[in-house]
Amino acid sequence: MHDLTSKLVEQVQQARADQAPLQIVGGNSKSHLGRATQATPINTREHSGIISYSPTELVIRARAGTTIKELQLALAKEGQRLPFEPPHYQARATIGGTVAANQSGPSRPWFGAVKDSLLGLGLINGYGEAMQFGGQVMKNVAGFDVTRMQAGAMGSLGLITELSIKVLPQFKTSQTLVCELDAEAALKQMQVWANLSLPVTGMCYWQHKLYVRLQGAAAGVEETLKCFTKALAVTLLEAELAQDFWKRVREHELLMAQDKQTLWRWSGPSNALTEALANTQFINWAGSERWALGLNGDNPVANHQLTQYRGGDRSIEVNPSINAHDQALQQRIKHAFDPDGLFNVGRLYSWL
Amino acid sequence: MAALPDSNHRIFLASLRTLLPAFSIIVSEESQRPFECDGLAVYQQLPMVTVIPETLLQVQEVLRLCSEHHVPLVPRGAGTGLCAGAMPHARGVLLVMTKFNQILHIDQHTASATVQPGVRNLALSQAAEPFGLYYAPDPSSQIACTIGGNVAENSGGVHCLKYGLTVNNLLQVTLVTIEGELVTFGGDGLDDTGMDLLSLVAGSEGLLGVVVEVKVKLLPRAPRIQVLMAAFDNVTAAGDAVAALIGQGIIPAGLEMMDHLAIKAAENFVKVGYPTDAQALLICELDGTHAEVEEQLSAVSQCFSDHGAYQIRVANDDKEAAALWQGRKSAFPAVGSISPDYYCMDGTIPRGQVAQVLTRIAELSQQYGLAVANVFHAGDGNLHPLILFDSSIEGQLAQAEGLGGDILTLCVDVGGTITGEHGIGLEKMPQMPYQFGDAELAQFRRLKAAFDPSELLNPGKGIPTLKYCQEYRSLQHA
Repeated sequence: MHDLTSKLVEQVQQARADQAPLQIVGGNSKSHLGRATQATPINTREHSGIISYSPTELVIRARAGTTIKELQLALAKEGQRLPFEPPHYQARATIGGTVAANQSGPSRPWFGAVKDSLLGLGLINGYGEAMQFGGQVMKNVAGFDVTRMQAGAMGSLGLITELSIKVLPQFKTSQTLVCELDAEAALKQMQVWANLSLPVTGMCYWQHKLYVRLQGAAAGVEETLKCFTKALAVTLLEAELAQDFWKRVREHELLMAQDKQTLWRWSGPSNALTEALANTQFINWAGSERWALGLNGDNPVANHQLTQYRGGDRSIEVNPSINAHDQALQQRIKHAFDPDGLFNVGRLYSWL
Repeated sequence: MAALPDSNHRIFLASLRTLLPAFSIIVSEESQRPFECDGLAVYQQLPMVTVIPETLLQVQEVLRLCSEHHVPLVPRGAGTGLCAGAMPHARGVLLVMTKFNQILHIDQHTASATVQPGVRNLALSQAAEPFGLYYAPDPSSQIACTIGGNVAENSGGVHCLKYGLTVNNLLQVTLVTIEGELVTFGGDGLDDTGMDLLSLVAGSEGLLGVVVEVKVKLLPRAPRIQVLMAAFDNVTAAGDAVAALIGQGIIPAGLEMMDHLAIKAAENFVKVGYPTDAQALLICELDGTHAEVEEQLSAVSQCFSDHGAYQIRVANDDKEAAALWQGRKSAFPAVGSISPDYYCMDGTIPRGQVAQVLTRIAELSQQYGLAVANVFHAGDGNLHPLILFDSSIEGQLAQAEGLGGDILTLCVDVGGTITGEHGIGLEKMPQMPYQFGDAELAQFRRLKAAFDPSELLNPGKGIPTLKYCQEYRSLQHA
């Protein structure tokens, strides 16, 4: 529960003086993401704590090292939640890392990604300047959106010191229904239901079964449940089992890469056929996120929608490739924030 | 920036004529007059030349030519913006994108639409209607404003409390850079890899590139939509009711507030049955399944009664619901009808500060001797104070601007921002150094330079220069 901003600024300034690149580490729960890199660690975990939280404003402001678990506990006391349902990674995941790695959970298609809940940001740039962007209010279009830009940047633009986040009320009721279907039929069914205005907050396909989570006001959930039961032979999952299942989805625990295995993630249009990713084992986000596990080296056909998510050779490019012109633009953007190349160099792409 | 010498000016225009047909290039003063301002008409400027391209290639070539000749370029959609963001540059090209008005594809399976930037906001929702879908951001200017302009300003609307701003509804944007190159941010999936440049483009006010194609998310129409109106005899009670409702965990699709002067003006203008004796009016829209809306409706009515609403009216049918909205949506022209001129502000504040800020605005209004009508997105804390003035009376415009500036700095002082959805443009440049420090402003300038190193895209707007900030600070100091 400390504000270590000035200490972090000093460390960045020192690194700049020494021209010694830094590797930003929070709870160290996401070391499997991105490319393998070597640099001096700069730790943000101790820079933690909730700075302010106003339930009626639906806004929480916290230092980057605050864990997701701590945030969820504070929010739960007031009957609220983080809309993007991020993984906790055994209580190690921090809010700074969650934003940098753009980690959104099963409710992503209905409640948005991390960026959709971001309102404000504290960032130390490569000049060693502590800056503030955005704020604590719902709508703010003053200046460029440096806040949301950080989502997915993997720390390449600077060190996140704090975040202001829009929160939402917790759901009053939750029900999960399960239905046995083949993958193509499940994808079609997901699309039909995803495109109706219903209290759906999760839709995935795992081991020949379609899982649908309904959450919201009791009356709305019951009404939808009746309508679904009429349409298909579905069974209701017991509350405890359901909670455990969605937790495993959220924590990326369904498909665990063992030694010599690579976990692939595909992100594309929800109506793409099952062939979009060879050997798909798990379909999430109503079809727009798909996962496959394979032996190292046994790579699926490379395409621009595929990420080598976990395992395998991490010295090569692990993210979808982009053209030379876009590369040059991203390099100029990085340079605008981090002229000496101090932050997480090579983590996202070898050339950034 | 040095003025283009006459000879270069002639060479530039001659080159332009080789790229586009004569009817796409407007140089006469008379024909350019309609383009001299956007929705904020107090700022006017004729451009050197107005170009109305019809093809993507023409857009790319115009940008390349501007880059080569070092000529500023200002993109423009329907010109409904309210911050002089599309005001032309005296020595530059005004690039009017209205001919790019095609909806290229509506995909009902993935609930998305790919459109050209000149497609009108409402036209998109109308085209999506047969599929049971709509485009959620709905600024009050939605009949006229374009999607390209919505991207540039990150427009909101009355439904963004629940469904977000433009930035929350974008899937992909293609831009032409100042070098005339095409870049695409976002993609077919929900999340793209790496830094979120799609979000950066939203609200970038034409400073980074010219938007030429946009893919947006569409939403399914809710089975039931219910609108209700609640009248209060004081503004504080209405403000408290809003905070209490959100605090209870109810997020309506829209939650709007109007004060006494705005209610009277709107009722006088459209006659929808607003109680003209009310000091504050809340308009609340609930959407969802039938059972969900039923449950929320009673909770909302109860909450409003508990906070002193003396009249609650639930719309019985679509027609009545539309009427309740019509009063709110025509509030700006309604205020225009009771005053020779009005100046619309756009600050956002924490919801809990509403009563305090309205009280302070009333004091400032008295101090300046100018009436202020307040219309706002209460759920988001986004205020639109409308300052009534008469530009034919010498000094009143300056007074209105002074009052407006004071209201914006007041918003920053209570933890808010100088613009919620209208943008900085030219208008709010004086308040930028008040909201941001020098390091942040310098960061914005470096980011701009990564896209547009010669500062040719919409120069003088959005992000103040270092010199501008230094002058501002020395004035503050003095």
